[in-house]
Amino acid sequence: MSFIKNTAGTFALMLAITLGAMVGGMPTTAWAVADSAADAAAKKSKSTADHSKFEELDVDFASGPEVTKACLECHTEAAKQLHGTKHWKWDYINPDTNQHLGKHNVINNFCTSVPSNYKFCTACHIGYGWEDDKFDFTAEEKVDCLVCHDTTGKYKKLPGLAGHPNYEEMEWPPKSGKFRPATDLENIAKNVGKTSRQTCGACHFRGGGGDAVKHGDLDTSLVNPKRHLDVHMDASGLNFSCSECHTADAHEVAGSRYQPTAKDEKGHLIPGSKDERNTATCVACHDNAPHKGELSKMNEHTDKLACQVCHIPAYARGDQFTKMTWDWSTGGKMDENGKPIKIKGSDGKVKYDSKKGDFTHDRYVIPEYQWFNGEVNWTLADDTFDPNEVVKINSFTGSSTDGKSRIWPTKVFRGKQMYDKVNNKLVITSLSDDKESALWKNFDYTKAVNYGMQYAGKEFSGEVGFVETEMSWPITHMVAPKEDAVDCWQCHKENGRLANIEGLYIPGANNTPMIDKVGLGLAAMTLLGVLLHGAVRYFMHKRGG
Amino acid sequence: MLKAVVGFILGIVLFGVIAFNMADKMMLREVASPYGVEETAARIQRNIQELSDNGWTLSGLRNPAKAVANSGTNVPPVLLIEACSTKYSGPILKNDATRILSILMPCTITVYKKDDGKTYIGLMNAALMGRMFGPMVGEIMGYVQEDQAKFIKFDDSRPAPKLIKKKPGGGAAGGAKSDDGC
Repeated sequence: MSFIKNTAGTFALMLAITLGAMVGGMPTTAWAVADSAADAAAKKSKSTADHSKFEELDVDFASGPEVTKACLECHTEAAKQLHGTKHWKWDYINPDTNQHLGKHNVINNFCTSVPSNYKFCTACHIGYGWEDDKFDFTAEEKVDCLVCHDTTGKYKKLPGLAGHPNYEEMEWPPKSGKFRPATDLENIAKNVGKTSRQTCGACHFRGGGGDAVKHGDLDTSLVNPKRHLDVHMDASGLNFSCSECHTADAHEVAGSRYQPTAKDEKGHLIPGSKDERNTATCVACHDNAPHKGELSKMNEHTDKLACQVCHIPAYARGDQFTKMTWDWSTGGKMDENGKPIKIKGSDGKVKYDSKKGDFTHDRYVIPEYQWFNGEVNWTLADDTFDPNEVVKINSFTGSSTDGKSRIWPTKVFRGKQMYDKVNNKLVITSLSDDKESALWKNFDYTKAVNYGMQYAGKEFSGEVGFVETEMSWPITHMVAPKEDAVDCWQCHKENGRLANIEGLYIPGANNTPMIDKVGLGLAAMTLLGVLLHGAVRYFMHKRGG
Repeated sequence: MLKAVVGFILGIVLFGVIAFNMADKMMLREVASPYGVEETAARIQRNIQELSDNGWTLSGLRNPAKAVANSGTNVPPVLLIEACSTKYSGPILKNDATRILSILMPCTITVYKKDDGKTYIGLMNAALMGRMFGPMVGEIMGYVQEDQAKFIKFDDSRPAPKLIKKKPGGGAAGGAKSDDGC
């Protein structure tokens, strides 16, 4: 409403000025005044508060927690709300599987685990000072308001600072010769606003330690995307921020990787509805039968296919390459001087790093498709496995027959990572802390795992092996315009996109021997009938003639 | 007699239909690559540079997919590697009758991804095409085709080279700026 009022107000002002100029003429200075008034009206914030006018923020803040204290003077309940969220706790118990999940508890096949690596990992925590297992989760001033509400683009939490920005000038990246100035907390605090693609993306575009590394469908090309890359986030079109879909209620943000909604049968969201549901689904806006007119045939697909199958033809379609594989087992190679090395591939991405092993990257990647009913089972630190088989870090559950599944596009990230060779369990590895035990200090996997496991209070045999792992990521961003949706024939052909999906009959792609036999039989009998009929008529004609 | 004429005409028509349907496969060749688009292109660039004895130099690298994306459409990655050999282009450009064939210069090799997620290399069948323009061009294009086969022969034991994005100088540019190409 306020937008309409603002727009109408600006239009009325411009109309009045234009008519006035037509009737009596207008000096240049008056035009300038009118322009600036119109500009001011156009730029007028939709917010009811201008933080730059707050005396409470007129302070030369020395640290992030000092800013938070100032925020909490007005936003008295904000920190308490945040304390209950996954973003704060990094801890989550899935009520369906009872698995103890959350970033703090799962082991992945990127940098593997958080415990013993806090100072680095918590650069993406919405708090200040989580540097060990003694972090006080009840401290309100440790909530970082700025990381989500900065609008200047100048607020950055660097790895190694336990969630703090740099308060003094700092060389970054290390040994690069480039220096980041001290963070101007006062200026940033006075310019807070709504979350944006940039603030959410500061962590979610850089998951896994770098741009585009983890998700495949989230990277910095979505900060200012064009329509072809994402029809919703198109900066000169709909220009959705993340929060348009990932709505927040008392700072709890909708959408979860731990308990995703694979098949939303609730239809589109009714404003004011008290129904507790995940708002971050396609169906919440588009409903389950979104195709109209001659495209309505497509609606017959929606019981089996997630919208993303057709509407995200490939991921990593922007400017960034996403990481596809990571082999930790080859780490530790040095140059002739005994120094760690980095080797870049043809795409300009690092393909070997002494600290991390070998990588591969790709762009415009065709997803792998899986049945998915929303239930994800994780291989956690206490779970055992057969190391001769590929270990699924997270298994997507689903089938064609359970009535709850749809086929989903996924990025399957493949790794070869450290495990306990005797106990057949995944391990926690100390990578980055400034201790001598850290892998990136000593390049000794056994020492690093030993320390990590001790830190986490887990049993470790003392023998490190490397096991192949897979981790699946649902692809749901980078939605292409409808004209770039996956063509029918890409599935309706032999060896099409869904060729490996069980329990599907796709005309043009599958042949069911029984149906083929019945069809051939019917055709043969028809032919035989025609021939017999013709022959009878011929002989009858001859006899009669 | 009538049967012979009809048979002859039918033969011509049949030949025309077959030729029409096979022309694309005869004129163009598609080869799968074991590498990604960038690495395939970079390895081809290195092979081209290593055939400098035959006058080959890189003329440029184009990314038509980027231009299409900028216009608002999703297309899989495509890289065009342009190369030229003065040894081969010289005689063709020298002759009034064949100078028009400069329209086919520089020699272009395309590397692209298809919807099966795999990388492919596309080449022109230089020898066959050359034969259409007389014996001199046919002979030269035969040599080009032999070299093309070497461009796409990859040595797996060698590390992936860096993709050369800037247009290199010298050689095929004929002493002028490199982006003049052949």
